[in-house]
Amino acid sequence: MAKHSTTAEQCAGAVSTLFDSVFHDLESWRDEIALIGPKTRSADLDALVQTLVVPSLTRHNPTLLGAGFIAAPEFVRGRDVHFSWWIGPLESNPLLGITTVPTRLDLGARIYTEYLRDVRKLEWYSIPESTQQRHVTGPYVDHLCTCDYLFTVTIPVRVDEQMVGVVGADISVRRLETALLPLFLGADRPLALVNIVDRVVISTEPTVQVGQLAPHSGTTVACSDLPFRVLVAPALAPRV
Amino acid sequence: MDVHKRPGAREAIFAQLNDTGRAEQVAQRLTDAIILGVLSPRERLPSEPQLARHFGVALITVREGLVILRDTGLIETRRGREGGSFVSAVNTPHQALLENRLHKLAQVELSDIAVYFSVIVEGCATRAARYTSPVDAERLAEWLHQANFTTTASARSNAGGFFLELAVLTQSARLVREQIRVQAEFGSLLFLGLADAALRERVAGGFRAVVPALSAGDDALARGLVGDQVEALGQWLLSAKIRVERGGNLDGEALDNG
Repeated sequence: MAKHSTTAEQCAGAVSTLFDSVFHDLESWRDEIALIGPKTRSADLDALVQTLVVPSLTRHNPTLLGAGFIAAPEFVRGRDVHFSWWIGPLESNPLLGITTVPTRLDLGARIYTEYLRDVRKLEWYSIPESTQQRHVTGPYVDHLCTCDYLFTVTIPVRVDEQMVGVVGADISVRRLETALLPLFLGADRPLALVNIVDRVVISTEPTVQVGQLAPHSGTTVACSDLPFRVLVAPALAPRV
Repeated sequence: MDVHKRPGAREAIFAQLNDTGRAEQVAQRLTDAIILGVLSPRERLPSEPQLARHFGVALITVREGLVILRDTGLIETRRGREGGSFVSAVNTPHQALLENRLHKLAQVELSDIAVYFSVIVEGCATRAARYTSPVDAERLAEWLHQANFTTTASARSNAGGFFLELAVLTQSARLVREQIRVQAEFGSLLFLGLADAALRERVAGGFRAVVPALSAGDDALARGLVGDQVEALGQWLLSAKIRVERGGNLDGEALDNG
């Protein structure tokens, strides 16, 4: 290629920009939801959340697979956690089929999820609850929602110092790759994007594959304060 | 399933035939849920549109499936505002239905189901052992520690959950989807043996031993442990089949339906 090669720093910067823009949306939704106060009717809450999140699922080339608000039981006068969650149009999904408009997540129709006793113990809820900070979960295969390989990003919603739920969004690994791979390929050395446990998300080194754990002792570039880093010339540690 | 979701001429050609079998599949799933006690007497079934979404089939297919269930007397339908389909209150001879199900499936089919399931979960265990992070292993251990295997119903739900979690650890969306599909199709049969308290205890112990194997990255051990549990479940099923074919029942003491 004749053009200047990209650097690992530029790749890391692009990752940060993408996630920061999603968090920016989440923050604006959080502020709106916090305004309507506790003990709200779930129908009113759903109407508000739908208005907030659906535009981000229907825009051209959406980054998000799904988005919404997961309310603590107290917030909606219910016994269980309330999912006010929408899934964007799906090209093809073995569980949900093909959809052309956003659909509401119907957890009651997922009998196989009954073994999960309390979704508040899941990472995307429990970590923001304990740290009161934004959080990135994944990449992981999410079987509650679309059964895709994705990230769930969540931030806590607080009313009077009390966490009343989390606003969140799902970012598919495939769509992230589509957006970022050209930049990664432009570097003159192989690069791999890994998460906080060194799990590979994107890689231009074929022996280091998506989903694998790739501990790395060479050069790395942090993605601002996000739980990601870019590995330069990664190699898999030999298995013992 | 995948073929069915692919749009185009192929789907159109096969749609009719596919749907015929599908109504029976809908009826079979609900029958299993009722005779295994997942749905209780007098419980209202989800609405027809909800069922259609749940099974990923057309509304008409669900209606046909419900007709089959009504004919067997497992459900009754009431009209009006409080209407809907309800699991029959009468204590239907569930045992007999279950025995009939086992009678209709040949040994070779039961073996085949067990083989297919074990190959999938052994593959999941192999890969999970290589791909599980310490945090993942800790989370699985914590879930398993609190998972109840002392009653038939909870053991069935948690065995399904364990195999699903194992698929999640492979980082493969395809394996997770296939695990959900296979469990939906055969789970009620495969986990039938969990009515047996000794088998429940054995399987729960096997599952708990898998976690350290995953943490240690010992793929052979993890695969072996998972395979052993599926084999035990498969053998229970074949033993029950033999009892039924000999004119006996499923085994009164083993099937406590707790």
